[in-house]
Amino acid sequence: MAAQQKKNVWAFRFTTLSLVLIPVAVGINYVGKLFAAALKLPLWLDSIGTVLAGMLAGPWIGAISGGVNNIIFGITADPVSFWYLITSIVIGLLVGYLAMTGWIRDFPRAVVLGLIVALAAAVVSTPINVILWEGTTGNVWGDALYTVLRNGGTPVWIASFIDELVVDLLDKVATVIISFLIFKALPQRLVGLFAGEGQVEKL
Amino acid sequence: MQFTLYVPGDSWVHRLDPVSKLLLAAVGLALTFVLPGHLAPALLLAAALAILATARVLRRSGAVFAGVLLIAVTFFIVQGLVYAGNATPALTLGPVTFYREGLLLGLRLTLRLYNILASSLILILTTRPSDLVESLMRRGLPSRFGYVIIAVLQVIPVMVEAAGRITDAQRSRGMETEGSLWVRLRAFIPLMGPLVTSSLIATEERALALEVRGFASNRKLTFLRDEIIPGYAWPVRIAALAALALGIAGRVMLS
Repeated sequence: MAAQQKKNVWAFRFTTLSLVLIPVAVGINYVGKLFAAALKLPLWLDSIGTVLAGMLAGPWIGAISGGVNNIIFGITADPVSFWYLITSIVIGLLVGYLAMTGWIRDFPRAVVLGLIVALAAAVVSTPINVILWEGTTGNVWGDALYTVLRNGGTPVWIASFIDELVVDLLDKVATVIISFLIFKALPQRLVGLFAGEGQVEKL
Repeated sequence: MQFTLYVPGDSWVHRLDPVSKLLLAAVGLALTFVLPGHLAPALLLAAALAILATARVLRRSGAVFAGVLLIAVTFFIVQGLVYAGNATPALTLGPVTFYREGLLLGLRLTLRLYNILASSLILILTTRPSDLVESLMRRGLPSRFGYVIIAVLQVIPVMVEAAGRITDAQRSRGMETEGSLWVRLRAFIPLMGPLVTSSLIATEERALALEVRGFASNRKLTFLRDEIIPGYAWPVRIAALAALALGIAGRVMLS
């Protein structure tokens, strides 16, 4: 996240190293979900890898990590996750962009980023929810709220958006904060490596 | 440790090449959205279940279906109560009334959910994921992208194992993994941090190892094994496309 990279935020950096980072990001997503389940947390925490990939290697690698994540789980474990491909891509893209511009400097900004990511995820997921399931998300608490809102006359799209947002809000803010704390604790050498400063991978 | 749903077997569906199964799944998904009403989607579901049954993967499918039962129940409750087209009361339980139109929509959404699952499972349960990626690479999927997908399948079991080791190590240092929500949430970072750091360090080594073996080379790749396409693959593909054409024709004629 160095200042000299401000110019080429959108530059493709498809080095071997950044390609190898993608499977690891997907693995981190998966293990994050396992840990969250093992600790019985009321969160999924299943996009930490996508967020970290964006912070480490920029928007493209972040987006591909998110996309590959949902393709993989779509074809192996959870067919429905495939339909939310775009949501994951947007998360990786957004975090990668803001990280590479140097915007994510301190803890308060990480919290704000969490809110932005939650909002973006809800905006992207809502049309999918409306097209596939007439607006519900499959989360009991979110859907209970949806029912109350619809009963009070709220339009489907707005009720569905709020349904998705309350489900996403805590989870995405926690995800981004945890990713930020881990990112800050990483050895500088690793961070520089993925940001393409060392170019160690070019033999 | 297995995180994929793949069930090894020797049925006709297992022996079918991955691309034909991908086509079957895609046709099933397309028909899910093309077919109107309730009867046609129900027949589609029956057809998908018949294929899953002949592939002898019905038990694993049942486990997946049971896993989303709560979502299906939600459809009925939510839409039965608040669907915009609700007009005819069907069922009154104390203070709440379920409407016929909403319950029918719930049925339609449930059929949609199970059709999406059943169609996808034809591919997922009977195809080793790496076989699918390999046959897509034969048909032009960039090999680097193919590597990324296959690497995920290899990396995840390794990382899950590492996660187990880290959990044991942190517990032996006295980390609390039970108690209030805050205690459990705080335990997440000492578990996740070491896993991320160690797997990122391993990434550098893997990148170097790949480079040394010519990963970045632009030579044309060859495959270790030949692809076996059974004789009935083309009839199956044509039947799938015919079903899709029939479904679209039916939809157009009815509307």
